[in-house]
Amino acid sequence: MANARALDKRRKSIRNIRKITRTMELIATARFKKAMDRASAATAYTARISQLVKDLSQSGLEVSHPLLEPRENPSHAALLVLTANRGLCGGYNGNVIRRGLSRHGELSDSMEQLTFEVSGKRGISAMKFRKLATDAEFTQFDDQPSFEEVEVLANRYLDAYAAGTLDRLDVAYTRFISSSRQEATVETLLPLGALETDEAADTDSRGESMYEFLPSAGSILEEVVPSSFKVKLFKCFLDAAVSEQIARMVAMKSATENADDMIKNLSMTYNRARQSQITGEIMEIIGGVEALKN
Amino acid sequence: MATATTSNIGQITQVIGSTFDAEFAEDRLPAIYNAVKIESDEKGVKINLTGEVQQHLGGGRVRCVALGTTDGLKRGQDCVDLGAPVSVPVGDATLGRVFNLLGNPVDGRGPVETDEHWPIHREAPPLADLSTSTELFETGIKVVDLLTPFVRGGKAGLFGGAGLGKTVILTELIARIASSHGGFSVFAGVGERTREGTDLWLEMQETEIGQTGRKVIEQTCMVFGQMNEPPGARLRVALSALTMAEYFRDATGKDTLLFVDNIFRFSQAGSEVSALLGRMPSAVGYQPTLATEMGALQERIASTSKGAITSVQAVYVPADDPTDPAPATAFGQLDAFIYLERSISEKGIYPAIDPLASSSRILDPQYVGERHYAIARRVQNTLQRYRELQDIIAILGVDELSEEDKLVVHRARRIERFLSQPFLVAEVFTGKAGEITPLADTIRSFEEICDGKWDHLPEGAFMYVGSVEQAEEAAKKMAAEVAS
Repeated sequence: MANARALDKRRKSIRNIRKITRTMELIATARFKKAMDRASAATAYTARISQLVKDLSQSGLEVSHPLLEPRENPSHAALLVLTANRGLCGGYNGNVIRRGLSRHGELSDSMEQLTFEVSGKRGISAMKFRKLATDAEFTQFDDQPSFEEVEVLANRYLDAYAAGTLDRLDVAYTRFISSSRQEATVETLLPLGALETDEAADTDSRGESMYEFLPSAGSILEEVVPSSFKVKLFKCFLDAAVSEQIARMVAMKSATENADDMIKNLSMTYNRARQSQITGEIMEIIGGVEALKN
Repeated sequence: MATATTSNIGQITQVIGSTFDAEFAEDRLPAIYNAVKIESDEKGVKINLTGEVQQHLGGGRVRCVALGTTDGLKRGQDCVDLGAPVSVPVGDATLGRVFNLLGNPVDGRGPVETDEHWPIHREAPPLADLSTSTELFETGIKVVDLLTPFVRGGKAGLFGGAGLGKTVILTELIARIASSHGGFSVFAGVGERTREGTDLWLEMQETEIGQTGRKVIEQTCMVFGQMNEPPGARLRVALSALTMAEYFRDATGKDTLLFVDNIFRFSQAGSEVSALLGRMPSAVGYQPTLATEMGALQERIASTSKGAITSVQAVYVPADDPTDPAPATAFGQLDAFIYLERSISEKGIYPAIDPLASSSRILDPQYVGERHYAIARRVQNTLQRYRELQDIIAILGVDELSEEDKLVVHRARRIERFLSQPFLVAEVFTGKAGEITPLADTIRSFEEICDGKWDHLPEGAFMYVGSVEQAEEAAKKMAAEVAS
C-alpha cells in the first residue's frame, strides 16, 4: 500500500489532466462543427467539378489536356504530407505519417527525384526525428485552411508540371468519409487522369455527355482542369482539418474517460491507505496504553 | 553469575503464553541469555522444554522465553539453569544434517558425533577483523548480475510480498551457487512452510556439486524452526544456523554460504514475545528493540580476514509496504537489495524483480567497471522513463507520445520482458530448461537492446530467454508458427 500523500498527489495531477482533456474535447467539438460545414460545402462543389471534367473528357471529342495525361517516363515526383500543427488527437498524425512514409519509400525507389513536402508541425518534427530531409515545410494551414493559401501551393505545382520538372504529385492526408469514419490515404492528384480512372469505376459514371460545349470543349477544359485540380487539393486540406477535429474529439473523450477511471481507482486506493493508516495509529495508541497499564 | 557446577534449580512462578517466570535463589540468578531446562513426566505428560532468560525482574525472579511449547507447564515446577546459553553442535559432523534450533538432529539419522558445541549468542567480529571485499559474485541470472550484482562475502536481501517468489529465487540461488561452490552452505528455515524445507532437503540430496559426483547436501547443514514452532524457536533459529556458519568461517576459513528464509519471521517472532516480556509496542506494533535485535543478528553475518560468509536472505514485506519497520530495518544491513514487485509478477514476468527499486552497493564503476555500470544505468533510465510515461499512456494513449518517447517505450517494453529468465528449479513446472547467462553475455545483450539493434523483434520473443540471440531464435520460431 503506497503512502496516502503520494496517492493524493497523483490523483490531483490526474484531475488536472482530466480538466485539460475535457476542455479540449469541448473545443474540438465546436471546431469540428465549423470545419464540417466548410468541408460539406466544398464536397458538393468538388464532386460537381470532377464530374464536369469527366464529362468533358468522355464527351467523345478529340480533347486532351496535359494535366490529364500520365507522363510516359515519370522521373520527378512530389509527395505532400498533411498533418496537424497540434497533438492530442490520438492516432491522427501517426497514421498519416505512416502512410506518407511508406509512399515516400516507394517513390524514392522508383523515381529519380522526389520532392518531399510536409505541412503541420507534428509531421515536420516526425520527419526531423527520422532524419528525413524535407524540401518544403508549411505550418500556416490550421483548422480553417483558406482557398487563397492553398491556391498558391496549387499554382506552384501546376507551373512545375507544365515546365516538366514535376511528373507526379501524391498527397498523404486523412480522408473524411463520415463523422464516424476517416481514413489515412495517399492520393495521386497529378496527373489528374490517375484519379479519374478511380472515379470512373464509381457507380455514378454516365455514358454520354448531355452538354454542348461552346466555343469548344478544348477551351473549356483549359479553364476547368486546373481549377479542378486546385479544388481537389483544397478538398484534401479541408478533409484533413475535419478529420483532425474528429480525431481530437474522440481521443479527448476517451482520455477523459480513462482519467475518470484512474481517479476512481486512485480514490479507492487512497481511501484504503488512509483508513489503514488511521487504524494502525489507533492500534499503536491503544497498544501503548494497554502496555502502560501493566 | 551462576555456575553449573552444582545444578542451580528454580521454580516456575508464572506462565504467560510463550514466556514464563521462574524464581531462583537471589545470589544464584541465571545470567541473561542463559538456557533453563524444564524436564518432567507427570501422568504421562512429558515435558522437555528449554527456555532462555530474557529479563531479571528483581527479587530472584527471571523472565524467560520458551523455545518450545509451554503446554502443560505448572507453577512450582522445577527448572534447571544450564549455566550457559543454548549451544549447538558445529563442525564437519553437522554437514548433511538437519537440525532444530537446539542443535538436535531432526532428520532421523541418529545423534551427531561431535564434541564441539558453540553457544548461539556470540559477539559480532570486531571491526578490525572485518574484510571489505568488493568482488562480484556471478549468479547467471541476468537481472541480478546486471542491476544488483552480489558481493562475494556480502549480504543480499530478497524483499517481496506474499507469493511473489522469494523462496523460488532463494532455492534457485542455492541451485546455482551451491552446486558450483567449493565451500560449505548453511540453510536457516525461519518461520516458513515446513514443506518447503523438506522439498529443499530432498532436492539437495539429488543435486550434484559441479562434476565431482558429490551431492550438495554433503556440504550443507540445515536448521529449521518453521511456522508451526512457538515464537521463541523462530526467534533463535537464525542464531543457531548462524553459529554453525560462523564455525565454518572461523575454524575452516572456507567460503561459507548462509541462506535465510525468512528473516522477517525473526522480527515477527520478536514482536510476538515482546509484549509478553512487558515491553511497550513501538511503531506498527513492533517491539521497541526491533533495530537492536536485527543489528545484533546481521552484524554477525560478516566476512572476516579468516573467511567469508556470503549470505542471501529472503525478507517478507507485509502488505507490500516496504516502509514497514521490519523490512526497513533489514534493508539497511544489506549489500545487495532485490525488491520483488507485484505489478511485475502480474505481468507474468519472473523473477519479478523491480529493476528500479532494487540496487547494490557495488553497482559502481569502481567495482563492476565502466561499461557494466553505464549499461545498467541506461537500462534503468529507459525503464524509469517508461514508468513516468505510464500515466500518460493510460490516459491519452501511446499515440500522443513524442517520437523519442515512443522509442523509449518500445525498448523499455522489450527490456522489461528480457529481464525474465527461465529458472533451473522451475524446469519441472515450465518445461523450459534453466538458463545460466554469463555476465559478459548479459551486458552485451542489454547494450544491443538499448542501442536498438533488436527493435525489430516482437516483444514476446524476449520472454524467458537467456542471451539476446535466443530471443532472435524465438522470434524466428514465432514467425514460422504464424506462417504455418
